[in-house]
Amino acid sequence: MRILVVGDGKVGHTLAENLAREEHSVTIVDQNESVLHRSEDTLDVMCVRGNGANASTLMDAGVDKADIIIAATASDETNMLCCLIAKRLGAKHSIARIRDPEYNESLNLLQRELGIDMAINPERATALEISRLLRFPFASNIESFAKGRVELVEFRAHEDDVVVGVPLRDLGRKLHGLPHVLYAAVERDGAVTIPNGDFIIRAGDRVHVVADMVTITAYFRFLGKNSLRVKNVMLLGGGRISYYLAKMIAPMGIRVSIVEIDELKAIALSESLPDVKILHGDGTEQEFLEQEGLKQMDAFAALTDRDEENLMTGLYAVRQGVPKVIVKNNRVAYEDIISAMGLDSIISPQSITCANILHYVRARVGGHGTKVEKLYRLVNGKAEALEFIAREGDSYIGVPLKDLNIRKGTLIAVIVRKGRVIVPFGGDHIEAGDSVLIIACESGIGDLNEVIRK
Amino acid sequence: MNKRLVIRLQSSILLIEAAAMLPSLLVSIIYRDGATHAFLKTIGLILLFALPMHYFSRPIEKNLRAKEGFVTVGSAWVLLSVFGGLPFVFSGLLPRFEDAVFEAVSGFTTTGASVLTQFDDAPRGIMFWRSFTHWIGGMGVLVLTLALLPQMTGRTSHLARAESPGPSFSKVLPKMGDSAKIMYLIYAALTMLQFVLLVFVGRMSLFDAAIHAMSTAGTGGFSNYGSSVAAFNSSAVDVIITVFMIVFGINFALYYRLLIGDFKSFFKNEELRWYLGIALFSIVAVSLLIMPQYGNFFSALRYGSFQVSSIISTTGFVTADFDLWPSAAKMIILLLMFIGSCAGSTAGGMKVVRITLMSKNISREISKTFQPRKVQVVHLDGKGVDNSMLFQISLFICAYVILTLIGAFVVSLDGRYDMLSNFTACITCVSNVGPGFGAVGPTRNFAGYSTFSKYVLSLLMLCGRLELFPILVLFHPDVWRKG
Repeated sequence: MRILVVGDGKVGHTLAENLAREEHSVTIVDQNESVLHRSEDTLDVMCVRGNGANASTLMDAGVDKADIIIAATASDETNMLCCLIAKRLGAKHSIARIRDPEYNESLNLLQRELGIDMAINPERATALEISRLLRFPFASNIESFAKGRVELVEFRAHEDDVVVGVPLRDLGRKLHGLPHVLYAAVERDGAVTIPNGDFIIRAGDRVHVVADMVTITAYFRFLGKNSLRVKNVMLLGGGRISYYLAKMIAPMGIRVSIVEIDELKAIALSESLPDVKILHGDGTEQEFLEQEGLKQMDAFAALTDRDEENLMTGLYAVRQGVPKVIVKNNRVAYEDIISAMGLDSIISPQSITCANILHYVRARVGGHGTKVEKLYRLVNGKAEALEFIAREGDSYIGVPLKDLNIRKGTLIAVIVRKGRVIVPFGGDHIEAGDSVLIIACESGIGDLNEVIRK
Repeated sequence: MNKRLVIRLQSSILLIEAAAMLPSLLVSIIYRDGATHAFLKTIGLILLFALPMHYFSRPIEKNLRAKEGFVTVGSAWVLLSVFGGLPFVFSGLLPRFEDAVFEAVSGFTTTGASVLTQFDDAPRGIMFWRSFTHWIGGMGVLVLTLALLPQMTGRTSHLARAESPGPSFSKVLPKMGDSAKIMYLIYAALTMLQFVLLVFVGRMSLFDAAIHAMSTAGTGGFSNYGSSVAAFNSSAVDVIITVFMIVFGINFALYYRLLIGDFKSFFKNEELRWYLGIALFSIVAVSLLIMPQYGNFFSALRYGSFQVSSIISTTGFVTADFDLWPSAAKMIILLLMFIGSCAGSTAGGMKVVRITLMSKNISREISKTFQPRKVQVVHLDGKGVDNSMLFQISLFICAYVILTLIGAFVVSLDGRYDMLSNFTACITCVSNVGPGFGAVGPTRNFAGYSTFSKYVLSLLMLCGRLELFPILVLFHPDVWRKG
């Protein structure tokens, strides 16, 4: 597919990197020569220098033949204009990053009038992700598949967890009443394994389990992790993420306090969020945090613009015994180091934006066979969870799984048939129309037929 | 440095060279020229050498950084030339190793300078291979590798950039593999067109037409006759080759623009206009200058235009001995040797775009001396050019001239020829032209130089073809240090 990425910032570059690796023809447009050089050096893409909202620049970049245009410059207006022009010049789909809350209110109208097929607000998407983590605090990451029927949950195994030290195949026999979930992937020391029956979970492993929501909840209750319910949350930094997040979770009965260092900003927040407790002060001052009852909080989220500050206060909150600590970190590269320090829930607006856009793009990859409905990256992209819809006429339809050739390093995690979730065994088979969730250790799978063959 | 990856790439390139010998092998078998064994031996040797390299160097990390890119390209061309010279040795045509290497380097770099003195009974397969090296060397062996091997590594742009002539490298399509493929397709189509014209209009034999079409396409200049294109003594042949020499000196990315119907950017291209302008001016000036020697304007134009387009496109075919021309005409020829053709073509020289930008930069500096507060950006094709790019170009031109002068000094240590011969031998090698003046003039060749000088000249040809840096980095100690 021909894809045009306008804006070569962190998001643009990451998108281009992923899309080029998936064999798409990617062209990047940006005004800054030096960032283009970096992309040209490291990626197999074409770079065009110029303003992304300028028709002749877009024509140089081949917009008339583009299947998708992704506008991810720093300016909302440029992004909207870019999509509008690109659509008029013949681009088939357009995606724009729009982050200003003011535009967000009239987003539907803007999208319709400007021909934007997908508008993504990184801060809002991040807030959504955090709100999910707050609802299920035992998880360090949650992703839902098959229209929310299947959840993939990541948690860190502790020494006293009952599942630790027992081979997976013996779990059901030894622990009566343990709900049956699928162990999709385990990360240990930075390496990802798709476990088999002999696998033994050790303390410190990051375990990914898959099942339907009810089973997952029961599973964590069995492990004794579900006693916690978040009632009090402290958010550090009064930026857009905090704003969206407070709006989402305050109606759910969660008491939110937001710490903001800038007084004017704090006042403005208090104006727009009357139900939320706004605190004016420096979040890096430990005394101040203690005074405001950090120890009593069920959850703490560090969401300032400075990664270092977020990390340090996050670590401090962990030390103070806050059960759920979420940290915003823009530099994806350090994720391994940070999680080694004990912070599990690390959130990066850029990766969330990229992941959302990639979902959209992958769903539009045409061609034969099945296509990816949804893709979720596990552990920094070392493994992927992919959702496909099985198509009529494919060779694997109706054949028991044990008779199929399944690609090495991949796992058929879940089959969803008519709303029913099946954690499959060798005797199960796939029917046309089923949603199939695959876990894979490699990236770039674009078709269910690549994974299973008769 | 990621040595495994570099070695892996070298082995792939050598295997492609072995495959590239198959057409020559076929020619050798068809004409029963007695050189078949030379190709079989060479291919066998390459396989013996490259297959173990291939199997014992599975790269752990597949990222190709700038350093590895340059080292790969530089050393690949050295290896290619060494193995490419073996058929000359095995067939007994050039029994001395330094002669064979010189001939192969001259072939791959599309120089066309020769040490061959025996043309009449030379095996046809070997002559075909000689011109075939021009053809693949012109567009680039690594570009061919990129076109043929899908997804060779993640980062391939360093390879193509190190091999492609011109100050900046731009792909015509987002994916490197697609870009390389379309370039080779355009190249092959143009070569085929010339071949057909030479056969049907120029009345050449199939073999002669193939040799000359490939040599013209790579802007190389190897002919299977000692007197070069003059041997045909046909104005039709002269005209066809004159036109195609100019055609192959044009940036191939522009042909792609033509192909997709974008005529505007073809005809508005500044480098192309300068290139054609310089060529046209030189043709007219040279033709007028040599008119007294040829009696009438039309034969002066025929020989003048052929020689001018042969030199500006850095091909090096000859139909007249320009060493006998008046010195003003000779001077134009000498200047053209430095300039060369467009970036992104198969030709050598400094490239017209560099000369264009350099002239604009000089004129800006002049106007700055009396208008110190003037702010002016140098433009090319309506777009501003970075100062860092202008700096790089100045540096390149300086390095180019210095390298030529150093080369001329080293070659002079031979003590065999005069200054003009030595100097033009070096410039003709660095610019990948072929003939020079004096002892290396259009009717003479490079056989008289010492072994040492032949290696020096071979190195100059490689430096010129790869635009200095991929070869020069091989001599930088930091490249070979760990870390």
